[in-house]
Amino acid sequence: MNPLRFITLLAVSATLHAAEWTDYFEFEKIPMPAGMDSQIGAMQFLEDGRMAVAFHRGEVMFYTPSSRSWSLFASGLHEPLGILPEADGSLLVMQRAELTRLRDVDGDGAADRYETVFDGFGMSGNYHEFAFGPVRDKDGSLFIALNLASNGAPVQREIRGAFSPVGELTREQMTEGGDWKSRSEKAGRMYSRVPWRGWILRLSSDGKQLEPYACGVRSPDGIGFDAKGRLLVTDNQGDWRPTSPLFAVKRGDFLGHPASLIWRKDWDGSDPQKIRPATFAKLYSPAAGLFPYGELANSPTQPVPAPAGAVPADLVGQTLIGEMNQSTLVRVLDDEVGGNFQAGLVPFLDKSPLGIGNHRLAFAPDGSLYIGKTGLSWAGSTAITRVHWNGKPFFSLDGVKATPDGFVLRFSEPVDETKLTDIKLTCHTYPYTARYGSKRFDEQTLKISRAELSNNHCDITLTCGPLKQAYLYQIDLAPLVAESGNTLMGKRASYHVARVPQ
Amino acid sequence: MKFLLLSALLVLAAAAEPDGKLLFTQNCSPCHAPDTKLVGPSLVEITNLYGKNPDGFVHWCTTPGKKRPETIEMPSMAHLGEENLLAIRRYILKISKGVVEKMDTGEDPFATAPTLVARPLVQRIFMPNAGPAAIAVAFDAKTSLCWDAGVCRLRYAWTDGFIDGYPYWRGNGSNLAKIVGKIRYTESVSPFGSKTPVAFHGYDLIGGLPVFRYSAGALEVGESFKALPDGKGIERHFTLTTPPSGPLTLLFPGDSKTSIISDHGTLAKGILTLTPNEARDFTLTLTFR
Repeated sequence: MNPLRFITLLAVSATLHAAEWTDYFEFEKIPMPAGMDSQIGAMQFLEDGRMAVAFHRGEVMFYTPSSRSWSLFASGLHEPLGILPEADGSLLVMQRAELTRLRDVDGDGAADRYETVFDGFGMSGNYHEFAFGPVRDKDGSLFIALNLASNGAPVQREIRGAFSPVGELTREQMTEGGDWKSRSEKAGRMYSRVPWRGWILRLSSDGKQLEPYACGVRSPDGIGFDAKGRLLVTDNQGDWRPTSPLFAVKRGDFLGHPASLIWRKDWDGSDPQKIRPATFAKLYSPAAGLFPYGELANSPTQPVPAPAGAVPADLVGQTLIGEMNQSTLVRVLDDEVGGNFQAGLVPFLDKSPLGIGNHRLAFAPDGSLYIGKTGLSWAGSTAITRVHWNGKPFFSLDGVKATPDGFVLRFSEPVDETKLTDIKLTCHTYPYTARYGSKRFDEQTLKISRAELSNNHCDITLTCGPLKQAYLYQIDLAPLVAESGNTLMGKRASYHVARVPQ
Repeated sequence: MKFLLLSALLVLAAAAEPDGKLLFTQNCSPCHAPDTKLVGPSLVEITNLYGKNPDGFVHWCTTPGKKRPETIEMPSMAHLGEENLLAIRRYILKISKGVVEKMDTGEDPFATAPTLVARPLVQRIFMPNAGPAAIAVAFDAKTSLCWDAGVCRLRYAWTDGFIDGYPYWRGNGSNLAKIVGKIRYTESVSPFGSKTPVAFHGYDLIGGLPVFRYSAGALEVGESFKALPDGKGIERHFTLTTPPSGPLTLLFPGDSKTSIISDHGTLAKGILTLTPNEARDFTLTLTFR
């Protein structure tokens, strides 16, 4: 490069507005109740403007934003990780052992009835058997998600529910005692020896009827409906999960982790550990989105649609997802190929004061986003951060559409044409194996043969040649600026081509 | 102009070197802090391990394992490549210079949380010698019990303390709570027999103490407890909202450390026999010897 041109470029860069998230959002730490372990398991706003919050050690408290005050509603629950307010003022809470309805019968402001709504699933006593949800669909059905157990520990001597004989180790060998380490590998990295571990369960609105809805999840610490009514579930990188996925779950789906298959009615009793991955690959309903590990997100959490007033109008209805390990949230861009949801994932509030441990997301009536943090000895944090949009529009990637040979990107404002050639596109794929996580395979930098701006300068059509199925495309948009001089907020998109558009 | 050009080139040269700080922030900082152990060891400890061993550092990061039983296995950082890993190591060495590690005292920082010191108290947590759906109940400073919602029965009672939940709460639940105090009574079987199917319906709190609701066969049962003064024992109250059609026999084999009496029916050789009317509502007194 001609040195003079380089210096000119430097000078031009200096005049650009290098925007920060703090130009658009206020970040505030919420004062937490004194003396308590403030790892947050669940949060939801009530219609009256209070927020119900469940804590690691089992408390459920109400936070009133106007007075910044807390009041205790219930306590003593076992690792509550989901909360759902009901019309009659009661709360549904998912704890390790059961879905519980908390009622304040005498009206003194604290729950006095802890009603078991559903406990028809197994517990081996293994620490990794967390329980998530509930969420309600428009017809009133409830959905919960149940973790697999981890071979970091055996099962307890006493369990709840039937013990499956399917597996290399017997019940006795799976049980605590002796040198677990020497036999743990044979348990499978994550295992499902009691009912419905690794399943998404659908319950009738009263919680009495169980429908095993979908299986194949590993550690689904994110379940929620998006603005279009799709049941979204995030899962965590690990065995059978080269990187963390986002699913739009449908009835009967197998979502990739084989351990739970043994509880399928039509399962022939064979041990999934002994079956070739290619067999499962045929059953697998592919992920709508993939979070590249170590780059976008390591351990994604709850999906929540952004309401009006919380974000610029064009982003309203888009799903935001929490992330434990990195200081970011993830914004979901909808695409559809052949009637199937495919997602472009974009960092949101990255490199901001957000911090890590972003476990639960709840939008307040005023459009503020409350982010509850936890760690449970993994990477994370504690307490609640409130994030509030100041109403200023920002330059963002608002939509992505896969084409047979590239992508159409939609931006919030006209894009500076001179930067188009600086967009970079790479793609890679992952193997589907029992291994814990995976490096990328067949990583390629793609040549963008054409980058065209639409008449209104808000859309860019990228042409790179035929898209490849089961590849994760990463579009690096860091160099882009708007015609206004604004820099882009969320500088890359990760798009999983589960299906190639025809 | 020459000066500007030189600066610009320096900027370029610097940019070619991997940014150890950025790489550390993105890949390592969630689990590693300079002066304290988070998920993984502190940077001080990492410096002690690998301060003079860059190859060992790269080897560990690309093929990590688990060195400490209480922690999780570090995920592989092989995707970063050797050059970036060495840059991370240089950054770790730089920022941990002169830092002194703060040691974990092993004490529960939230032991005095108002919701944990309140009495009476109900706390669900993994308990020893019970199923995974156990419930711990503290009556007062003296007396506590463990009731198991998985099998719908009392498991044991103890005096002189409640539980230490920190082994569970400090992590992800891979350790059970510990009993604080002395076990005074252990119940070996459900009063309704081990073969009777049970279903747990939850509990009501009355004065902070639970009334457990469950069904045992065709019977709908309410079971609640009170502590006798000074840790002397417990009173155990049953209500059957659907009384049996004939005489009811219940199993209370007891244990050698406790005497049991009932205010209704006859209790002999560990079997309580009640008329349908008596079975509506009866109280047992368990006195610790």
